[in-house]
Formats: sequence, C-alpha cells, structure tokens
Amino acid sequence: VRPLRGLRLDLSRRASAVEELPADVVRRWLGGRGLGAYLALRERLYAVEPLAPENVLLFAPGPLTGTSAPASARYSVTSRSPLTGTVFDGNSGGNFGNALRRLGWDYLVVTGALDAPGYVTVGLGASAASFDGQSFDGPGDVGVRPVGELQGAEVPVALARLRELYPKSEAAVIGPAGERGVLFASIVNNRGRSIGRGGLGAVMGSKRLKALVLSGRGAHKPPVADPERLEFIVYEAEKLLKSNPITSTALPEFGTSVLVNVLDQAGALPTRNHRESRFEGAAAISGEALKRDHVRRRSACRGCIIGCARRTEAGGESGEGPEYESMWAFGAQCGVSDLTAIVQANYACNRAGMDTITMGSTIACAMELTELGRLPGGPRFGDARAIIELTEATAAGEGLGAELGLGSARFAALHGRPDLSMSVKQMEMPAYDPRGMKAQGLAYATSNRGGCHLRANMLGPEILGVPKMVDRFATLGKAGLLINLQNLNAVLDSLSVCKFTAFAMKEDYYARQLSAVWGEQVEPQELLLLGERIWNTERLFNLAAGFTRADDTLPARLLHEPVPAGPSAGQVVDLPPMLDEYYISRGWDAQGVPVAAKLERLGLEETAAAAGVAPGVRRASEPAAAADGTAAL
Amino acid sequence: VSSAVLEQFRAVGRDLFVAGVISSHGGNLSVRMGDRILITRRGSMLARLEERDIIETGLEQNDANVMLASTEINVHRAIYQGTAAQAIVHAHPPYAIARSLMCDEIVPIDSEGSYLLHKVPVVHTELTAGSKEVADLLPRWLKEYDIVMLRGHGPFAIGHLLEEAYQLTSVLEMACRIMTIADGFSERIKEYRKGSDRYESW
Repeated sequence: VRPLRGLRLDLSRRASAVEELPADVVRRWLGGRGLGAYLALRERLYAVEPLAPENVLLFAPGPLTGTSAPASARYSVTSRSPLTGTVFDGNSGGNFGNALRRLGWDYLVVTGALDAPGYVTVGLGASAASFDGQSFDGPGDVGVRPVGELQGAEVPVALARLRELYPKSEAAVIGPAGERGVLFASIVNNRGRSIGRGGLGAVMGSKRLKALVLSGRGAHKPPVADPERLEFIVYEAEKLLKSNPITSTALPEFGTSVLVNVLDQAGALPTRNHRESRFEGAAAISGEALKRDHVRRRSACRGCIIGCARRTEAGGESGEGPEYESMWAFGAQCGVSDLTAIVQANYACNRAGMDTITMGSTIACAMELTELGRLPGGPRFGDARAIIELTEATAAGEGLGAELGLGSARFAALHGRPDLSMSVKQMEMPAYDPRGMKAQGLAYATSNRGGCHLRANMLGPEILGVPKMVDRFATLGKAGLLINLQNLNAVLDSLSVCKFTAFAMKEDYYARQLSAVWGEQVEPQELLLLGERIWNTERLFNLAAGFTRADDTLPARLLHEPVPAGPSAGQVVDLPPMLDEYYISRGWDAQGVPVAAKLERLGLEETAAAAGVAPGVRRASEPAAAADGTAAL
Repeated sequence: VSSAVLEQFRAVGRDLFVAGVISSHGGNLSVRMGDRILITRRGSMLARLEERDIIETGLEQNDANVMLASTEINVHRAIYQGTAAQAIVHAHPPYAIARSLMCDEIVPIDSEGSYLLHKVPVVHTELTAGSKEVADLLPRWLKEYDIVMLRGHGPFAIGHLLEEAYQLTSVLEMACRIMTIADGFSERIKEYRKGSDRYESW
C-alpha cells in the first residue's frame, strides 16, 4: 500500500497545496467514502456550519477506480450535509474519479469560498501565461475563471459548454439549484451522474463554485501491483455478473425501475406519502412501461458490464432516467400514474441538479398538507402537472418552490405538521416501505446519512433472496445481517465500486481484487472489519455533531399507522427492540455510543477522544475486552 | 428461541441428515444474536431438533447453559469473535472427509463447486473435536475462506445466514462426490473452465 497524494484547494486564498496521507491511513480507511469520513473527522467538520466557507468538499476515488475491476469507474464526495447535519458522502459513476487519479491525485480537498462566482480548473493550463483567469498559488496547475455565461446555467448546458471550452476535460458542476442553495442540490459530472441526496451541490454553491474541471489527459495510470492476478479475479467476477439474473438480465433490460412491480406486489411500495404500501397505478409507471414507451437505448458507466442506465424520451425532450427511486418519488409517492409527466419531472431535476427522491417526497408532503387543509391552493395527490411545475419552481426558487427547496422536514415543520415528513435525520426515505420489510426500517433508522437505501438495502434478503431469503415481517434476528451489509457497503463505497455488483458477488471477490491492486493480502473478513471501522468513524462524527439515539428513529406514521390494505396490511415497525438488538450487535451502549472495547478493536480510541466522544457505558452483562484485544463486542 | 429461528435450525438439521452429511448425532449448528449464541445441544439429533435442543449462551461469557451446548462451543465462539460470521454449520460429509485424508486443499472440478468455492483449504490438528487448537486455528483460515475442511473431521462453514453456511457445506460434499466418481473412470478430465489452473491460488 502506498501513501495517498492529495491536492488541497483553498478557494478563499486562491492557493493550492500538496498533502500526503500515510499508508497506514489508507490501509485503515481505503479511499472514497472511508477516506472522506476520516478527513471529515480530522477536519472537525462536525463543528462547522454546512454552508459556511469553513465546510470542506472532499473528492475521492478509491483504490479500484481506474482499474479493470468491474463497475469501478466511481468516486465519492464527502462533506457535512446542509440537509441532515450529518457527515455525508455521495458517490457516482462517470470519469471524474478516473481523471483525478490520472492527474496523479488520489483526492482533492476544497476549502473556503470564492469571492465571486467562478469555476476552477485543474491541469488545464492555468499556469500558462496565456491563461485569462487567475492562477492559484501552488502546485497542480490550478486556476479560477469568472462564472460568466455559466451563471445560472442548467446542468447539461454547463457541462456541454465546459466540454467545448476544454475538450477532453471532466467536470463536476452544479445547476441553478446548487447556486440557489436548495438543500438537496446535487453535483453532476459529464456522464450525467449525480452526487445526490444530501445537498452537497448546495455546499458547492455556498463556495460560489459553479464547476470543478479536470484535464482528462492525465498520464498517471492507477497502479496495479499484480495485473495478472487482477485479470484472473476480474474474469471470475464477471462470470458471476454475467450469470446472475439480476445483473445479467433484469437490470440491463429494464434498469432499476424493474423494481416498481416487485415492490408493489410485496406491499412495500410507499404510496401517497406513505399512507399506503400498494399503488393502483403501479403497472403504468413500471419498468416494463418505461421500456415500452420511453426508453430509446441503454447506457452504462465506463467499464460496467451491467449497464442499468437508460436514455429516454418524453414530451419532446430526451435525457437520462428515471431510476426506480425517481419513478416512485414522482409516481406512487405523489399518487401520479402519468409516466410521461414523471419522466419530465425527472428531467427537470436533472437540469436543475436536484435530488429526485427528496423533491418528489417533499411534493408528496405538500399534497398531504393540502388535503388536510394546511396548504390552501396547494397541490393534490395525483396531479401530474404539479410534479413538473413544482420541481421547476423549486429550481427557480419561486412561489411554493422556495419552501420546497428546504426539503420535507423543514417544509412540514413550517406548516405545523412535522410528522408528515417521511424522512429520517431530515432526509427523505426512498421507495421501500419498512412496514413491508422490517429490517429496512432498522436500516433507515440507523443510516448515518439519514433516510437512505444505499447504506444498506434489505431489498436483497427481504425481497430478492440475496444472499438468501429471510422472513420480511420478522422483527428480531436480522440485526447482524444488516450490520454486515452496512459494513460491506461502506467498503464498496470506499473501493469505489458499484453496489449492484454485490447482487452477484460476495466480499471475497472484492478482497481479492484489492489484494491484487495493492500487492498485499487483504482477507475478506479484514475487509468487513474495515467497513465496520468506516461505519463507526461516521458514527463518531454524528455523535460529535450532537446526534443521539433519539435521532435513530422513523416517522411516527411507520411506527404507529398500520398499512391499510394489501400484502402488508396491519403491519407497523416495532423499532425499539430492533434498535436494542442492533446496538448490542454493533458493540454500542444503550444510547448508541461505541463502548471502549469496540473502539479498541477498531483502533478508534484516539479518533473518538479527538472528537470529544467518550466511550459508551458498558451494559452490566457485558464482559471486558479479551486480553488479546480481539473481543468481538 | 423464536419460532422462525427454530424452524431454520430444524430445516437445516433435517436436510444435513437426509443428505447423508451427518450421522445420527453428528454435526452442530449455531447462529449469533448480538452478544449471544444459539447453538445445538450436545448430543442432539440434528434431524429431529426440538426447542430444548437449541441452547442459548454468551458469545464470550460462560453461563450454566454451556453445560448443555455442543462440544464445539468454544470453536464456534472463537469463529464469531474472529470473523463477521452470523451463522456456522459443521457437518461430517463422508466424501469430503475421505478426500481430506489425501490432500491439503480441495479444488472442485464441477461447475457449481468451481463457481462457489474455487478451492477449500484442508487443515489439521492433533485433537480434532472442540479443542483449543481447533479454536485457535479455524478462525484464522475462515478470515480468508468461508468454508474450511478439518482433516478427517469435517468442514466448518460460515455465512451471514444459516442457509448460506449450509449451502457451502452441501456444495463441498457434492463436489467431492463428483471428484470421487470421476476418479473411478481413471480418465484424464477434459478441461472446460478457462483459468481453472489458477483456482489453487484462489
């Protein structure tokens, strides 16, 4: 394992600097999301206002990025989220991470704020005499140019213009939503892939940074210690991906929206702001319908053999998506079965650079407030025009859109019914009703970035039978499985590879790929331990930021309002015993704080102390750590 | 013990016996529940498990129930403490045991075994049942492989779920049966798997 070489950009001072992270940090936090969590704690971002210049954006690919590992053309961005207040990383496909590594940088830290809106280039001639912007003091050939014609530009326009200005470049941009500070604004790269959910686009906007543009001509090939070994493991991995019906057939043929009918039939498709869990219009907004009426061709991230993305057309427009979550957010969640309108609302989000899940679910919240008489003149469930108009109004910051841009938690609170926000830690839950898949409720409640299916999606074991089918209504006995999934996903986000590969592959494949890249043996179990360390690092951040057990919960509706009809009729989530089992299995105390033995096992004692987090109080029944420090708790 | 957990134990225990990979009173199963272990009772018949045959005890701390637990309780504990396993299956599959007497690793020749296992290491100890030596040795190997063969005794398989560990056990025995059958033909195998010469390095 070699040390990592990072480039730090101080926008306020217009200066750059090289920094290095020692090999032992890499061995313990990998890259991508893990590196982001490590640096977010080290930089004490838990004490920083998310939209203040002092907040940091960390762009980090992982050790597999740019290699031949399947679906590894990915990168992460980490910061403190303005939506949730938690540590927050998003990751996406596209060439941005590859380009960064090929420029010789393993990560990029962006601090401070520009004094006027602009965009920053790296490796694109800013140090040349002919550069018409302002060069940064320091290494990396960094410069800034005024935003000019890109001010307020929609995402596709900005990306296209930057490609014209800088052929063969790779850019990460924000749209009007990020510039206006919409709390769920995204960062989008040239492949139209988004760092979504937690509003890191708003953080970028608060730094007056419209775009970060990298040269795509870097000559540094990501190092692979044993290429022959990697080729063997990749061949074996692709055999699995090609034979698994999820990765070889369902996702390539229908994309992620294949899940609409699956979840509806299970009674786990949240409908009309989670009031129900089946949608009578599911067939009209299914993956099958999307394929029939709107899909023009498949597309894929670079180097991916799954190819789950879709180029579509609707209402005279063309674009990318929607994904399953977006279909659900604008569809079932809003009671809308007009697929053309759903696709157009998705396009509107893509143009503005906004998260579709939060947008759709916030509109659904407004629809319920309207029906309850708390939002006179507001939108009603089933109103297809409203989902497009309100999305555009949110991007423009106009009318009701200005409030919707705060996300559903703040919006519902403004209107006196905070309970109507279907969110956890102020981030909207996606398209899986936990009353129909109980461990997904635990996954949402314990997710360290708020209501999220990407920290761990129990869709696998509870619906699809991956790795094996479990009783989806069972409350207890699933914490260990969930924890292993959370830890594994932390690893995948840190390597950085697409989670869809895990429908076919187990941890041993990832460990063997990493071993070949590093030239050092990494055992599969060590990889899971790494994931556990990353998860606990994020937990320590959130504890330092003031989060407690009380935040590990679900909207009251899911705890107390039984599903009215369908396969999940009568179900609610009995969360407290699940949470107790989870904390015990994690080695945390009853308040969700890691106990000393756990911190010791993960080597996080100093990290916790530096963040001001005291070890958890051990339960009376729990033993001390074993003498060799290998206690599992 | 919840009815769902009991049913998992019963289903896997019954199938292990029906498949002929345990004797009447052989083998043991366990799952981890946080800081507790549920493990089959010492001397229980896995094909006929009742609620009283599932013993709950501490992952690290002993209690009175340890008297009732499987002879292999310390091995199971050590595996849970050293890995992220949530379930363990230990069986005595005859073809796999026979093959373990002749080699240091089992490299399947059939398609299913090749996909799921690639290779299974064979390890040995002087005392094979429930010994400290086994408890020290197995977790180290199980960090790298999800199923490891204890020479002359049988495999220990781990999984996130009991069914996963059972599947690995079943696939190993099937692979060994196929290898035994193929051996009987005394013919050279026509290789059909690209890269199979590298499975030994898996």
